[in-house]
Amino acid sequence: MGIKIVKREGKSFKDRIYLPAILGGMMTTLGHFLRNLRDTSNIKTLNYPEEQPKDITSRYRGVHRLTKRDDGSVRCVACFMCATACPAECIFIEAQEREDGVDEKMPKVFTIDLLECVFCGGCVEACPCDAIRMDTGIFTFVAHKREDFLLTKDKLLSFEAKKEKA
Amino acid sequence: MANITVDGKILEVKEGALLIEELLANAINIPHFCYHPALGKDGNCRMCMVEIEGQKRPQIACDTPIKHGMIVRTKGANIDRVKRSILEMELINHPVDCPICDQAGECSLQNYYMDVGLYESRLSTPKVHGQKHVDLGANVVLDQERCVLCTRCVRFTQKITKTHELGVLSRADHSVISTFPNQPLSDPYAMNVVDLCPVGALTSKDFRFHKRVWFLASEEAICNRCARGCSLYVDHHKEKYKDEMIYRYRPRFNALVNGYFICDVGRLSYHQENENRNFHPMIRGKESEYEYAEGKLLRLFKRNIGKMLLVISSSLSLEEMVRIKALAGMYDATISAYEPNRFDEHFGDDFLKHQDLSANARALPLLGIEEHCMGFSEGFEQAELIVFIGRSDIDMVKTLAYETKNIALLYGYNPPFCEGLELLLPITSHTGRAGTFINCDGIVQYSNCAITHNQGHKKLLELLAMLLGDTLNTCEEVWEETIGKLEHFQGLEFEKLKHTAQKISL
Repeated sequence: MGIKIVKREGKSFKDRIYLPAILGGMMTTLGHFLRNLRDTSNIKTLNYPEEQPKDITSRYRGVHRLTKRDDGSVRCVACFMCATACPAECIFIEAQEREDGVDEKMPKVFTIDLLECVFCGGCVEACPCDAIRMDTGIFTFVAHKREDFLLTKDKLLSFEAKKEKA
Repeated sequence: MANITVDGKILEVKEGALLIEELLANAINIPHFCYHPALGKDGNCRMCMVEIEGQKRPQIACDTPIKHGMIVRTKGANIDRVKRSILEMELINHPVDCPICDQAGECSLQNYYMDVGLYESRLSTPKVHGQKHVDLGANVVLDQERCVLCTRCVRFTQKITKTHELGVLSRADHSVISTFPNQPLSDPYAMNVVDLCPVGALTSKDFRFHKRVWFLASEEAICNRCARGCSLYVDHHKEKYKDEMIYRYRPRFNALVNGYFICDVGRLSYHQENENRNFHPMIRGKESEYEYAEGKLLRLFKRNIGKMLLVISSSLSLEEMVRIKALAGMYDATISAYEPNRFDEHFGDDFLKHQDLSANARALPLLGIEEHCMGFSEGFEQAELIVFIGRSDIDMVKTLAYETKNIALLYGYNPPFCEGLELLLPITSHTGRAGTFINCDGIVQYSNCAITHNQGHKKLLELLAMLLGDTLNTCEEVWEETIGKLEHFQGLEFEKLKHTAQKISL
């Protein structure tokens, strides 16, 4: 193997006083500033959280929700397919007998630990009943305690699908 | 003997035996529903079709006696087409509700369909519906829609229990398994039909919806409910952030002991292993650290040399008994395995259940351990410290001088009371440690199930090694050091015993 000798840059007097480079950078900033001052619609940044992103598509994997049947009851039958597919093992289900005659089995407990979830969408893929979806469009989830990141069955059922803008 | 050719391979098999028996024995995959080795052939499901050279049509392997020179094909496009058609017929009225079916994951129908299924329905008429939840009694729930009418359950009540509780009702599409009016399933072996059922038609009320089967890990164990010592699978799982739980016992085939079945009492005895497990060492009624309580046990033993009575359970394993005998020799203690409640005449029957409720009492005379009331009384008189090992019937000494003697208790389950005890030291329960047991017919079996729990209770063998001051912590070491040299166990090899039960003369 040959050795390639690389010339070290930055040894000249102009480089070592830094000022020309700093001024060059400031000129670029000034250029952007003047351009954005003339036309605000092209600014790449958001005034989050007052301004919310508009590019969340329907395929975006947000916080999960449990879907409902036509009669408003839980669609999930606690088959554990999602929990089996989950690579983070963050879905905790306990099944129970369903007494209302709609079906035989339903979840007593259905908890997703958002702090463990990697939002891969495996659970949605695995579900044979279309009972779990990630179409809420919720991309941030804020809480004060770790326990609050455990989404229970009731919480998951309360989420709605994100409305598409016409 | 006869030679037959199966898929181009020559097999040496028994002449006149059923073809399916020999194919299964040679690990050739033959789909089947109605055939079961314990129940014999019935020939109603038509699933085990094979091609036999010289026969016009495919034949069922379960009702074909073997003849010398037979040429059999179990694979190929032709036979797959036959199987696919039969599966299509089985699924005409099947609800395909695998997500809510407990059998999913261990279902023959599901497995065979994965192999040769049609994967699309040609049915244009609606499915015939049946009842989804029929409580047959004895913890068995029937789903009529999922049934393939193999009649294994019916034949079980006819041939094995001879109670004739189940039958097939109605005709054609409307045929269902049913009990007779006002006569629910009630025999003490009824839950075996759940294991026998190849599909999800019969499920156990006890296991229903508790766990999907693919999460379960199986250990090989021996039932300790009675002297029969049936071979079991212990199905357990440790959920994330939780402790190990046993979800069910299943029978494990053992030709010498229990065949393919176990009794319901033994099957449900796993509950005890889950409950009453979470308890702490206590010294004179105060909770204590495990290490400290262990030290206390050693101190108690050292203080009471020559003044001790070790009251042991006759359900302890052979290894534990041998070590306790060594312990008694070292500390000059008396051992008694006297159990007033060992026999229950109402429990025993002529099939599997045995009136002797002790899992390993046959080992007592072999090791020369006292098991009579006389010996117990004598030892009790002289003792100042009484150590109960593996049993909690302190009641029997309570009436005698309970106040004046110190009592220590080493037990795997939460004892009914612990007041007035000098020491309570938890040990692992039956499924928490391996061990060898001798059943009522002198069959020696090794229970290789040591499920570790979060509480960190030690195994009795480990505590005994601590008291004896040596390092024989495992069954293997105890066999090598002592048991293998005993007269009665001369012919036994531990390595072989691990996998196969062996008979000794009692």
